[in-house]
Amino acid sequence: MPDLIEIAKGLLESKEVSFIIGYTKDRFGRVKPYIAKSVEDANNLMFDHHSIHNLAVYLTRLKIPENGRVGIVAKSCDIKAIIALIQENQIKREQVYIIGMNCSGVVTHSTDEWKKENIQIKCKYCADKAPMLYDAVAGTAEPFEQPDDTQEVLMQKLETMSSAERWDFWAKEFEKCIKCYACRQVCPMCYCEQCLAEKNQPQWITTSPTPAGNFSWNIIKAFHMAGRCVGCHECERACPMGIPLTLLTRKMGMVAGKEFNYRHGMAIDQPTLVGSYNFNDNEDFIK
Amino acid sequence: MKEFIINTDEIANLISSLPADKWDILAPAKDGKSFDYVLSSDKPIINSEAPPSKISFKEYFFPKSETLFYYKREANEISLTEPKFAEKKLLVLAAKPCDAASLPILSKVFNWDYKDEFFNKRVNNSVIIGLSCAYSDESCFCTSVGLDRNNTKGSDIFLTPFNDKQYVLSVVSDKGDSFVKEFLPNLTEFTGTKETKEFIDNKPFDYKKTKDWIAANFENKIWAETGEVCIGCAQCAFVCPTCHCFDIVDENCDLNCGRRIKNWDACQFGVFTKHASGHNPRNSQEKRYRQRVSHKFDYYYEKFGEVLCTGCGRCTRGCPAGIDIGEIVFSISNQ
Amino acid sequence: MAEEKFEPKVVAFVCNWCTYTGADLAGTSRLKQEPNARLIRVPCTGRIDPVFVIKAFESGADGVLISGCHPGDCHYNTGNFHARRRWTFFKELLNFVGIDSTRLHFSWVSASEGKKWVDVVNGVIDTVREQGPFLKYKEIKEHDFQEIEN
Ligand code: SF4
Ligand code: SF4
Ligand code: SF4
Ligand code: SF4
Ligand code: SF4
Ligand code: FES
Repeated sequence: MPDLIEIAKGLLESKEVSFIIGYTKDRFGRVKPYIAKSVEDANNLMFDHHSIHNLAVYLTRLKIPENGRVGIVAKSCDIKAIIALIQENQIKREQVYIIGMNCSGVVTHSTDEWKKENIQIKCKYCADKAPMLYDAVAGTAEPFEQPDDTQEVLMQKLETMSSAERWDFWAKEFEKCIKCYACRQVCPMCYCEQCLAEKNQPQWITTSPTPAGNFSWNIIKAFHMAGRCVGCHECERACPMGIPLTLLTRKMGMVAGKEFNYRHGMAIDQPTLVGSYNFNDNEDFIK
Repeated sequence: MKEFIINTDEIANLISSLPADKWDILAPAKDGKSFDYVLSSDKPIINSEAPPSKISFKEYFFPKSETLFYYKREANEISLTEPKFAEKKLLVLAAKPCDAASLPILSKVFNWDYKDEFFNKRVNNSVIIGLSCAYSDESCFCTSVGLDRNNTKGSDIFLTPFNDKQYVLSVVSDKGDSFVKEFLPNLTEFTGTKETKEFIDNKPFDYKKTKDWIAANFENKIWAETGEVCIGCAQCAFVCPTCHCFDIVDENCDLNCGRRIKNWDACQFGVFTKHASGHNPRNSQEKRYRQRVSHKFDYYYEKFGEVLCTGCGRCTRGCPAGIDIGEIVFSISNQ
Repeated sequence: MAEEKFEPKVVAFVCNWCTYTGADLAGTSRLKQEPNARLIRVPCTGRIDPVFVIKAFESGADGVLISGCHPGDCHYNTGNFHARRRWTFFKELLNFVGIDSTRLHFSWVSASEGKKWVDVVNGVIDTVREQGPFLKYKEIKEHDFQEIEN
């Protein structure tokens, strides 16, 4: 298996890509996103179980020249986001050189140890899956003990609650929101140049971080993820207030699966779910 | 400075004896995985080894959303009503030195031309009990911005652990003095010596010097390198004890009534500097990140004589893109 | 003060080409319908951004009805097909946060279905009336406008 640094060096040397979006370690050993622009920079690239950030977000944040190509280091969950961006016409397949990483699960904090309790829940559903779309593959996946899906328990609990109880649960969670929009900025699928939350003529979403303003923001953000969320859990990781945002997106994902047998980010030529329709879609709920 | 010895039972008694209709208590509590300041906590965690809370306590002085006034139109009359202001006191228990110090820093900007009555009232109505800190990680750098583990800046009373059950209580301000006289009149005076852990600053810099470099390097690759990784989420500004930008908006309840509100805002947002014309002077994340560092370590220092940062490291710990402001200023100091 | 009977406010987003015309027909045919629904005419169900629904609840609606052309009849051919997919998600999302199907209703009503319109709208109003006022949403909205002690 060729080494990540070797691949990166080759790409930068031959100028096949203008830069590579990857990970590096700072001098304290904390892993962070990094843009390698030269062959020397490539030496700083690395990948391990702390490479939690979904770098696909940079594909729309950084300007990629129309006919240019950039490299990106991506684990298989991040590749879903890249595929989704191609499906949604935000980038072209030729614009990215995907260095797919064989991954052994990721942990949230730089200080967290690589062990069952710390490994992200999303990794449970991706274990042993090698990159699905790539131009090169690097790294070795080590077997790891799968984390428990603690979220599922909560999910089931919510499903059995009454509407009023569910409302109270979410009202309490949303009240915490401070409208920092970290959940939006970190999300690879939130790439609108102007977010609905920033429109004020008319103002659909109240800007105040108050119960009503937060409710409309959190609902609309979750709704905009319907059939589009790739389940990377970045929003929840970024939220400084610890709001369980992925419960909402997971719910949307469950609807996509159950009603339409669809999962976003699985094939670049598959039409997007909400961008398409079927004459026979279920309409039991419509009078 | 008057010093007393206080034990954990006396602290617990203090909490239960403060009349609940007159006092709110804000103290760290364990909430899930992180430490948070929680209002009226029954079981405050007084632990000097605890990491700083994820978000600072500034929202109790400068709320995330605050009504300035309500307006109403009846026939052709427009009337304004001021929000009611609860004259309730706030006791902050076990504030980190890097939190407490933010209040005098913020006071400067909230009082230099217009005096922010809401902020001032809240500060005047509060008593801050600081707690000596024994925590440190790669993100902390309080000593580089003129603070330290035992710094009493912003505290009215300060606690230093003495042994398992006892703290040395130092009276710092007049407000602290009256508080101790009123609620803790029977403490024994302390005469011994306190010991505290040494702080190892991983990224020492001299904040008096970095200012000049920042002023001279408006264009520099440091900004571009950080700006391209920064995703502009402003998590950093919202969790920061010293960031204080706000936005003023009107919200209506129906055609004839509404309110004017002050909401937190941050320079990391693209729309923060967007003009009505569409022009945006800070139109890239590079410029916005430069603003963050420049405001904290150059402009504020220039204007108010201190940096707009207490080195608490919150912005860094929470940054989804792994950006470390202390490390950036440290690298600037080595230029 | 005598207790007033609760009269729900229902906001109905209807497409211009079918349901609005259908509702119009109900009027000209002098069919009796309850007066609690406020109609908001939009070009097509495809134009109904779910944020409108949120805004309606925020502004005090006790229930919302969304109605447009039957599948295959949309003036813009596919507007309602796209809308239908979105609603599938939206209703589940609202249900998940505690706004259930007693508050949010959907229907297809064509330009010739004046009678169906009356039945749908009266049915929705009755369901919402039975549920009572949507206090939960009102509370969070009012929270912002109460003179809360700071
Ligand atoms: S909504 Fe959250 S989990 Fe879904 S793609 Fe965006 S960041 Fe990832
Ligand atoms: S929340 Fe919606 S409007 Fe805002 S950026 Fe995300 S997808 Fe776009
Ligand atoms: S990241 Fe959390 S606090 Fe920030 S806007 Fe999103 S939900 Fe609100
Ligand atoms: S928290 Fe990090 S990524 Fe977000 S705006 Fe601040 S520096 Fe940028
Ligand atoms: S800039 Fe960062 S380190 Fe400085 S006070 Fe704010 S949150 Fe703390
Ligand atoms: S015009 Fe009626 S649904 Fe499109």
